[in-house]
Amino acid sequence: MRAVGLRTRVTTVFALGALALSVALAGATYEFVRAVLLDDRESAAIRAASLDGSLVRQGLAGEEPDIALVLRNLDTGETRRPLVRSGGAWFARTADDRLAPAVSPALQGLVEAGDPALQRVRVEGEPVLVVGVPLQEGASYYELTSLEELRRTLRLLATVLGVLALVTTVAGAAVGRGVSRRVLRPLGDVAHTAGSIASGDLGARVARDSDPDLDRLAVAFNAMVDEVSARSAADRRFAADVSHELRSPLQTLSAATSVLDRRRDELDSRTGAAVDLLTAEVTRFEQLVTDLLELARADKPADRRPTDVVALTRSVAASRGLPPEVVQVSGDDALLDVDPRRYEQLVVNLVDNAANHGGGAVRIGVDVSPEALVLEVDDEGPGVPTDERALVFDRFARGRAASARGGTEGTGLGLAIVAQHVSAHRGTVEILDRTGGGARFRVVLPAGQDDGAGP
Amino acid sequence: MPRLLIVEDDDRIRLSLRLALEDEGYVVKDVATAEEGLAEQRANPADVVLVDLMLPGMDGFDCIRALRRHGDVPVVVVSARDDTHDVVAALEAGADDYVVKPVAVKELSARLRALRRRASGSGGDAPEVRRFGEIELRPDAGEVLLGDEQVHLTRTEFRLLCELADQSGRVLSRQQLLDRVWGYDVYGDERLVDVHVGRLRRKIERDPANPQHVVTVRGLGYKLAT
Repeated sequence: MRAVGLRTRVTTVFALGALALSVALAGATYEFVRAVLLDDRESAAIRAASLDGSLVRQGLAGEEPDIALVLRNLDTGETRRPLVRSGGAWFARTADDRLAPAVSPALQGLVEAGDPALQRVRVEGEPVLVVGVPLQEGASYYELTSLEELRRTLRLLATVLGVLALVTTVAGAAVGRGVSRRVLRPLGDVAHTAGSIASGDLGARVARDSDPDLDRLAVAFNAMVDEVSARSAADRRFAADVSHELRSPLQTLSAATSVLDRRRDELDSRTGAAVDLLTAEVTRFEQLVTDLLELARADKPADRRPTDVVALTRSVAASRGLPPEVVQVSGDDALLDVDPRRYEQLVVNLVDNAANHGGGAVRIGVDVSPEALVLEVDDEGPGVPTDERALVFDRFARGRAASARGGTEGTGLGLAIVAQHVSAHRGTVEILDRTGGGARFRVVLPAGQDDGAGP
Repeated sequence: MPRLLIVEDDDRIRLSLRLALEDEGYVVKDVATAEEGLAEQRANPADVVLVDLMLPGMDGFDCIRALRRHGDVPVVVVSARDDTHDVVAALEAGADDYVVKPVAVKELSARLRALRRRASGSGGDAPEVRRFGEIELRPDAGEVLLGDEQVHLTRTEFRLLCELADQSGRVLSRQQLLDRVWGYDVYGDERLVDVHVGRLRRKIERDPANPQHVVTVRGLGYKLAT
């Protein structure tokens, strides 16, 4: 399951908070308004019932009173309906006494005991307030007040409050979303900038934020990038200086040695031997410095472009004096997007490695497909023991494995450079056993476009 | 004997290169600054010039541009800098070849031989006049006409055009061009070819960004469209 994002969570929390708060407020409001209105209606009903009760009492004072007429003469408006209980019988304005059952025995008991009382009941689904007032001996007056209007008012109130709660919840969600967007925006900026820097735009910086709290992130991030790029610029300057300081004296050594070497035959044997040593070591030293400087550029990405890798492989083989049939091509393609300089050096180093440690390359296999290039360099040497296969790609790994294979040539950096070039292409290199003895170095370079900055 | 001018501020490198190249049969004059080099070249023109890039005062790039303004003497950069940026800038300034220090004398000597072969005016195998669209190539006269106008090419550019013309219609890879024009028998720097093709196009194409004559064949190299 995918984790829920911070933005969704913040939005949800804001919405739920707004919902809880607005529901609580709406509930309290509703209850308060309802209590006040009900209280008001009850007081009014009691006042009206007392007044009407005293009128009925007067009306019943005469001989043989017509109770229905007395009730009909009451001015009760539309919402109140009078009812009299006298001598065990109910009297209403009309003969219709459907109202009578609304008066509960409990209420009757209270009123007949001489106390005014009230009760809320439901008549035919309508809320009704029943107020009872004791009259003369054995008689009591009841007034039924409809609370329908109050109920409608409260229902309207409930609807309004409900809608308000809903609106508040949505507003809460919107605020949550806005707030989270606002808060997370610097993170997005930082991520975007980090991406730009990673893909080579070293000048990219995060824009300052007007909010001092959020601005801290931008300032801290920019300071970090400044620091890192200052250090890497210093490193590059150092590498360039080292490069220059090593290359210049080597140029003098190389040229001066060649002057000596040219007069080799004029020298006595001791001097001649010394000149030979000098020449060989200067050559090796040149290669060593070149290889070290190459390894120091580990952070450079592969400069991929369409390259005829088959032709390049053949030209390397030819330059190393290998017969043309050593290069065996399979697959239909010859073109692949690789860094030609790195590919070339990779092939050279593998071929030189085979020459130095395996008696020379006997087969160079090239298989190009649209997805990848597979390069195999086979030799007929002693092979590489399984437990040393990972080690030979280490720098200066000319230890046990190499000396056992009789190698004293080379700088000990050739295979490390191979590993670096392979890794810059996001490829793989491995050592296998060649059928019939010897080692097989297999390099796979995918045709991907998503090279990063090397290992 | 071919005359060689070395512009190099490092005394030891200058002396050692001079000794080694004198052994290779050159008459060598060496100076430490670009200004001296330009004065020397005006007074006693050399057949080929070696230039370092980092020089006190006027730098190597400006020195190459100044040499180019005065003539088409072949220029080889010998520099400790191997950034693509520097290589391309030096070639754009007009250098014919670029080698990175330390360079073996044998290698440098081969570079210089190839340059002098180009400079000696032999333009390809077939000396007769050839036409490619608006371009007229006269190898024996060492001339190129675009329409009726004569185009001034350096010797390297001229040689590059002649090699493409010899194979007209067929593609030459960058490595083949390096071999034929610059004399690289081993693998070489393809940027040399790309920058020189760019320079050539600016001179012989009506719209260098959309070349009609020197055409890039993706992944393979270049050809001269007929």
